[in-house]
Amino acid sequence: MIAGPLLLLGLLLVGAVAVYALRRVESLAALIAAGLSALLAIALWKLPLDAPAILAGRPVDMGRAFVSGGASLQITAASQAVLVFLFAMASATFILAWKTFQGRTFYPFGLLLLALWSIVVVLQPLTLTPYAVVLASVLSVFVIQAGRPGDTQGAWRQLLFPTLAVPFFTIAVWYISQAALNPDDQMPLRTAAWLLIGGFVLLLQPAPLHVALPAVARQAPPVVAAFLWAGGQAVTLYLLQRFLVTYPWLSEVVDSARWLLWLGILTALVGGALTATQRRLGRLTGYAALYDYGILIVALGLRGTAGLPTAIWLLITRTISLMTMATGAAALRHYMASDSFDDLRGAASRLPGAAIALLAGGFGLAGLPLTPQLASRWALLQLVSENDARWAWLLIIGALGVVIGVVRAGQACLGELRFARVEREPVSLTAIALLLILAGIVLGLFPQLLTDPVASVILPLSVLEP
Amino acid sequence: MSLTDLFRQLSLLIGAPAVFLAGAGAVLIVVPRDWRAVLFGYALVNVMLSLLLSQVIPTEWALQQAIAGGLVAVMLFLSARQLRNPAAPQAGAAWPRMASLSPFRLLAVGLAGVTYAVVRDSIAFSLISPLFLDAVLWLCLIAALGLALHEEPLHAGLSLLTFVGAVQLIVFSLFQERMLVGIFQGGQVLLGLAIAYLVVAHGLAGATDAGAGSEPAAFPAKGGRA
Repeated sequence: MIAGPLLLLGLLLVGAVAVYALRRVESLAALIAAGLSALLAIALWKLPLDAPAILAGRPVDMGRAFVSGGASLQITAASQAVLVFLFAMASATFILAWKTFQGRTFYPFGLLLLALWSIVVVLQPLTLTPYAVVLASVLSVFVIQAGRPGDTQGAWRQLLFPTLAVPFFTIAVWYISQAALNPDDQMPLRTAAWLLIGGFVLLLQPAPLHVALPAVARQAPPVVAAFLWAGGQAVTLYLLQRFLVTYPWLSEVVDSARWLLWLGILTALVGGALTATQRRLGRLTGYAALYDYGILIVALGLRGTAGLPTAIWLLITRTISLMTMATGAAALRHYMASDSFDDLRGAASRLPGAAIALLAGGFGLAGLPLTPQLASRWALLQLVSENDARWAWLLIIGALGVVIGVVRAGQACLGELRFARVEREPVSLTAIALLLILAGIVLGLFPQLLTDPVASVILPLSVLEP
Repeated sequence: MSLTDLFRQLSLLIGAPAVFLAGAGAVLIVVPRDWRAVLFGYALVNVMLSLLLSQVIPTEWALQQAIAGGLVAVMLFLSARQLRNPAAPQAGAAWPRMASLSPFRLLAVGLAGVTYAVVRDSIAFSLISPLFLDAVLWLCLIAALGLALHEEPLHAGLSLLTFVGAVQLIVFSLFQERMLVGIFQGGQVLLGLAIAYLVVAHGLAGATDAGAGSEPAAFPAKGGRA
């Protein structure tokens, strides 16, 4: 009987090796990576966790634990949902990356990153998971740099904070073990709680520790950056949720919900304000994503019966907006002289699909009407207002900053071309951009389409097993 | 001679001398521009950490710190050689490009030393021995200084690895677990690989915007980042 996690990781590793060997034939590498990710997403979605299934003539038990040396890997109902999200998102990203020229090393390293994120999601004991997060950040250095000589700031910053977080988690584990020896003494739990909060602040990197995000946005290919944000941030937030559910005293000793709310609001405000002032597409995308990330942290900080579903809802809709904006930014960056606003003049006439995708994705991250985020943002603002209406206004101010920044980028794309030799975007790229925009509009008009998927994961996520 | 015998021979060093040498090695990582001095400093820190760790974990496990550090040093040496190779003229004499001048870094280390002397007695951390506390404090202080002063991946990366090394003195005082030793040492090698990659990527950026003199890029060229 093959254990589910083993099958998952084995296929990802074999796939990564095969794709690395075929990386010079980019279309084939992209299709294999996307196909494998889609296959795994479907398998995880369809195969039951509580009973064995026959896959290619071999019995597979997706819910079976793989145990080795004091650690185990097991797919639970909650981790199944996160894995389906990760693989579905990765499958779409590999296709987008192929069509927007993101570098051929992304496919094998993307599969390896998926393997590491999967380990974070299914690994027990929980205290070992931060090490896998650090390994993922080490690996992401290679996809951010993508073989280009020059600026290394983005890759370096991506690596730095997770590494600094490691001692916080490791020492917290010791205090947790000491608390079990003397249950009457609250000091070890209090110290462990503060250490865990410190570790998570370094892992989450909210403002003012957000320096990696704009640096990655500037340096990395845009679709790759969106992949890292959508996947990496989702995994980190899931890890936080696992810690909060596994160690209920974490919320009692330290008011973690309030901390998350404040950090989320500050992040959204900083992200929105800085989006409005950018003059390069890369950094604009980065700060818009930062605003959106702040919103997601706020949703997780609300917790309770309504906060968690909103966070899951936001996670799905933000991925569509992020990918749409990144597709537009990637195409503009590829075809135009640079991603500086000064060099984008006339881009709309040659690259209309890319320009519209940039605007649609940007407006999506701001949560405007006719975008996938409208309903989820509205729900979040209502929840925030119940706590304090001023916080909701701060989030709206942040959204205004994103809108201003995106409108300025759109304006920069208008007018006459500065350089005559700009190719027209291929039809396939236009089709993909329009498909993403259409998907966003459909979800914006009919948000109830996501009700069932969100509802199916709420219960498993709120009662996570340790 | 067995491994235990070897460490017994070196027992004279285990203790305060090892802490002094590790501290001096850390200073060598942060202050000099020359990559050979920096790598020597890193090697020194690792050997001394290995000796110190042998006080709290089995000798064989402690030796892994020296092996991991050695592997990282070799990777960085190969990266540096690639950049100093005449076949890579774009890197040339400009590498490594520094964001500050050596006297400034020396002054910063001096100030860190004053800070260390002032705060040393007021920090109580009962989980580790006073000797280890001294080593951890100084190494973390210098590593933080290195991370703050350097943007260049060789110096900044080795500062980060020094921080990880210092943390191990705390972690292995608390846990004597084989798995944790493996995770930390394996993690350091992977971290070293990523840093070596960044060193090459940064070094190949070209020396065109570098100025003349011993500190070629102490000041940004026109349009460059400060």
